[in-house]
Amino acid sequence: MAKYTIKRLLYMIPVLFGVAFLVFTILSLTPGDPGTIILGITAKPEDIAALNAEFGYDQPFLIRFFNYIGDIIFHFDLGTSYQSRQPVIEDIIARFPNTLKLTIFSMSLSAILGISLGILSAVRQYSKLDHICVVTALIFASIPGFWLGLMLLLIFALKLRVLPSYGAGTLRHFILPTLTVSMTSAAGLLRLTRSAMLETVRQEYIRTAKAKGASEKRVIWKHALRNALLPVITTLGTSFGASLGGAIIAETVFAMPGMGTLITTAIRQKDIPVVMGSTLFLATLFSLIILIVDLLYAFIDPRIKAKYQSGGKSRG
Amino acid sequence: MEKKEAVLEVKDLSVIYKSDLETVYAVNHISFSIEKGETLGLVGETGAGKTTTALGIMRLLPQRTARFTSGEILLEGVDLKNLSEKEMLKIRGEKVSMIFQDPMTALNPVLTVGDQIGEAIFLHNENNLSKKEIDQKVEEMMEMVGIPKERKNEYPYQFSGGMRQRVVIAMALVCNPEVLIADEPTTALDVTIQAQILSMICDLQRQYQTSVIMITHDLGVVAETCDKVAIMYAGEIVEYGTLAQIFTGEAHHPYTTGLFGSIPSLTQNTRRLHPIEGLMPDPTNLPKGCKFAPRCEKCMEICRQEAPQVSINDGHQIRCHLYMKKEA
Repeated sequence: MAKYTIKRLLYMIPVLFGVAFLVFTILSLTPGDPGTIILGITAKPEDIAALNAEFGYDQPFLIRFFNYIGDIIFHFDLGTSYQSRQPVIEDIIARFPNTLKLTIFSMSLSAILGISLGILSAVRQYSKLDHICVVTALIFASIPGFWLGLMLLLIFALKLRVLPSYGAGTLRHFILPTLTVSMTSAAGLLRLTRSAMLETVRQEYIRTAKAKGASEKRVIWKHALRNALLPVITTLGTSFGASLGGAIIAETVFAMPGMGTLITTAIRQKDIPVVMGSTLFLATLFSLIILIVDLLYAFIDPRIKAKYQSGGKSRG
Repeated sequence: MEKKEAVLEVKDLSVIYKSDLETVYAVNHISFSIEKGETLGLVGETGAGKTTTALGIMRLLPQRTARFTSGEILLEGVDLKNLSEKEMLKIRGEKVSMIFQDPMTALNPVLTVGDQIGEAIFLHNENNLSKKEIDQKVEEMMEMVGIPKERKNEYPYQFSGGMRQRVVIAMALVCNPEVLIADEPTTALDVTIQAQILSMICDLQRQYQTSVIMITHDLGVVAETCDKVAIMYAGEIVEYGTLAQIFTGEAHHPYTTGLFGSIPSLTQNTRRLHPIEGLMPDPTNLPKGCKFAPRCEKCMEICRQEAPQVSINDGHQIRCHLYMKKEA
């Protein structure tokens, strides 16, 4: 298991290198240079050139890229923001807690809602509750996140005036953004859990359990759930990534100082170190989450555990 | 057959599957009984209603579609059809248990085999056995079916098909049920393993005096294991008698004759097999007269018009017009 974990951690290096190269290339292909953006187009060309030279922006693309990577590897330095002249890492440390909170809140809410209602819906298939769940899930899965955010803003902040419309000061500030991010993924999880559960209860080993005299409750909790949750957990991992993305939208709608607003502002200002730093930070986080999900698998499915222990070569 | 006390008696049982579009007449007015320690073979083609009968006895038929339309299922005099779901929980696994056809899918992949065998004891724990005692009983049972007890913490994927079927059998027999329903227990296994599993079931049956319903389409299995045989066709029992009556008796239902005829002979030099021509009738639209008439070589005019009654000769029941005439 440890060997498998180390192997997976090492795999992250090429992935992150690829992410870095891709983002760096895209940024370099966009028009404009940091000097002009900071000093404005009316500034003297010599000043602009001097500022660009100070940032190292006068160097060729590949040299700039490898300098950047070198700084990260050898000096653990994510660079300095062109705009604020502060180390990028300080910006990230200041903003990340809000994004993390929002992601954790919305992930928890969508997991609790999606999985529990999904199970209930499957167990009571064709009941009124099931129909309500399925239709509601379909509606929320089809609503774009930003529109839902705006509507929530309109209803709860403007009309009813019960919740704040912007900022991240107190827990109350997180209620609307959390709803915005979680509803879509909760709907997805509900539909997935329901169908996985329905498929599992049709398996033969469920009939075997019933033939032993297990009650319906016991069959669901002891026999069906662990098998049905396997695909749900995979999706939970990837929907963590989606939640990070959703957080970026929610942060913009609710003017919340988080990673999302940090990245979008930095892109507009062509603040390359900030964009690179925060993207790499999120990519690392995402890779780690996926790894944790894969390891979580082993605790649910003994076949996968055996596979990990044998070095991932044999198939269970 | 002399009248002994029957453990399980099925009388005039009919099961239909009803959906919005059609009604499937899966089991039509079948009756049979099993005495203590006896084995009844339920033989027939795929779709003859064997498994529906078995699941009906277990009351595990799909709730939304399946309905009993007539008959009784008497287990020691109690009609299982009238029991509540809660009362059935005490019957399943303890009084009647079942072995399924495919051992590869019959075990839960995420639970150890020991847990799965132990669960049957845990669910019917009337003697209030402690966890340790249950564990011990699981180990005993595993040895009994020929699995080393050290393997109880292993998962189903670590077992071969034959070994898994042993686990399934251990699970079914651990509570010492009155009736064991074995639904094609060896169909999915290698021939060599088949013999082992069958002789094991027979040994355990003798030891515990369990009554067995052996569902199969393999007449070889029937010859080796059964005391009584019921031949099923299109949801009906067309012939019912002792092993001797079915295998060596003189009078037979044409379908039974056809079944025996389709076994390739090892002693005679034949180049072709002799299958029964045609297919089973559509269970949503069964023929008006004898259900076998369209495929029957001895079909008469009356067969197409009227459903035949059962003729009984020394307990040997045949549902065919051929023998009705003789009686009259």
